[in-house]
Amino acid sequence: MPQSPVPSKSRISVDTWAVIIALLAVVLVRTGILKDIPW
Amino acid sequence: MAGSIALPQPRAVSIPGRILALLPGVLLLAAVGYAGKFIEQSMARYGKAHHLVLPNIEFVLWAILIGLVISNTVGVPALFRAGVATYEFWLKVGIVLLGARFLVGDVLHLGGISLGLVFVEITLSLIFMTLLGRAFKLKPKLTTLLAVGSSICGVSAIIATQGAIDADEEDSSYAIAAILALGAISLFAFPLIGHTLHLSDRGYGLWAGLAVDNTAEASAAGALYSDAAGKVAVLAKTCRNAMIGFVVLGYAIYWASKGKAAKVQNKAAFLRSKFPKFVLGFLVVSLVASIGLFSKPQITAIGNLSRWAFLLTFAGVGLRTNLREMLKQGARPFLVGAIGEVAIAGLTLGLVYGAVQVFNL
Repeated sequence: MPQSPVPSKSRISVDTWAVIIALLAVVLVRTGILKDIPW
Repeated sequence: MAGSIALPQPRAVSIPGRILALLPGVLLLAAVGYAGKFIEQSMARYGKAHHLVLPNIEFVLWAILIGLVISNTVGVPALFRAGVATYEFWLKVGIVLLGARFLVGDVLHLGGISLGLVFVEITLSLIFMTLLGRAFKLKPKLTTLLAVGSSICGVSAIIATQGAIDADEEDSSYAIAAILALGAISLFAFPLIGHTLHLSDRGYGLWAGLAVDNTAEASAAGALYSDAAGKVAVLAKTCRNAMIGFVVLGYAIYWASKGKAAKVQNKAAFLRSKFPKFVLGFLVVSLVASIGLFSKPQITAIGNLSRWAFLLTFAGVGLRTNLREMLKQGARPFLVGAIGEVAIAGLTLGLVYGAVQVFNL
């Protein structure tokens, strides 16, 4: 019988990295380090 | 990934080395996205200066078109491919940051409606696609992959399901190619239909989020209509993405019961591993914004960061779409996918019309 599909490795996924980077950006804006982002 | 450009992972071992390997492709995404923004602004300025009424074509469409032209003519050189593949990363960053532009009340209201519609949409789509696959005599696991891809969230759902049900790489490639090709068509068809039917921003956004498969294409199809529609499309699509674990688990149990896939030992761990983390990130940012932790300029700044992240995403949608490669994958899976997509688009349009009337959206 093949292995269970639940991954056993605990590497950080791209999904999690995206959340970390986005939350870091939010903190930088909240603390005033990042401000006046143009669009 | 079949049906799109090859997306090799950088082989460098160190973190700075990996980042360096991604840089050319990320710069290409930025250049293509910014070119789209530049064309949009230049057209608006030209029209104003010469008193001309030019169509307001959003940067989203320009970025996708420029990307499509590059990908389908000269192709994306190998140096850029790893960085171009980061467009999904930027998409998730953009969605988390978009949370700042949603109050929790909106998320609960629209998200609640979306979740109800998503439940109906997924149930009917899975049944319909399964019957269609049988009618066209597709391999059962290929039918499962197409059903999951078209009912939940495109490529991510197909990849998650492929691992869970031990499907062939070839089946997965067929399903991904069909879903990507149909996603590319949706980008142009949905806004046209939406404008023809005079759908409201919320109604259209809900429809795009429910019916367009890949998250990147659903976000782009929404943004092509309007900024407000883009926001709603992302919210509705996020609700659909949240269901991925449950559906994949259901199929894993089904195929395991037939002795054709691994048994799922720990269902809670399975669900946790498949749940898209960016959905949680989106909710956290929305919650923080709703309790008033940000000033208005800060919300604007976070919203603009989200727009920049989406700009990179939309450039990637065009750059990774290679139409010739997709057509090479064969007609039958594409035909089943196309018939299914049209039926699902019609079904969700009906659902959205009902929701617009009932909830006054």
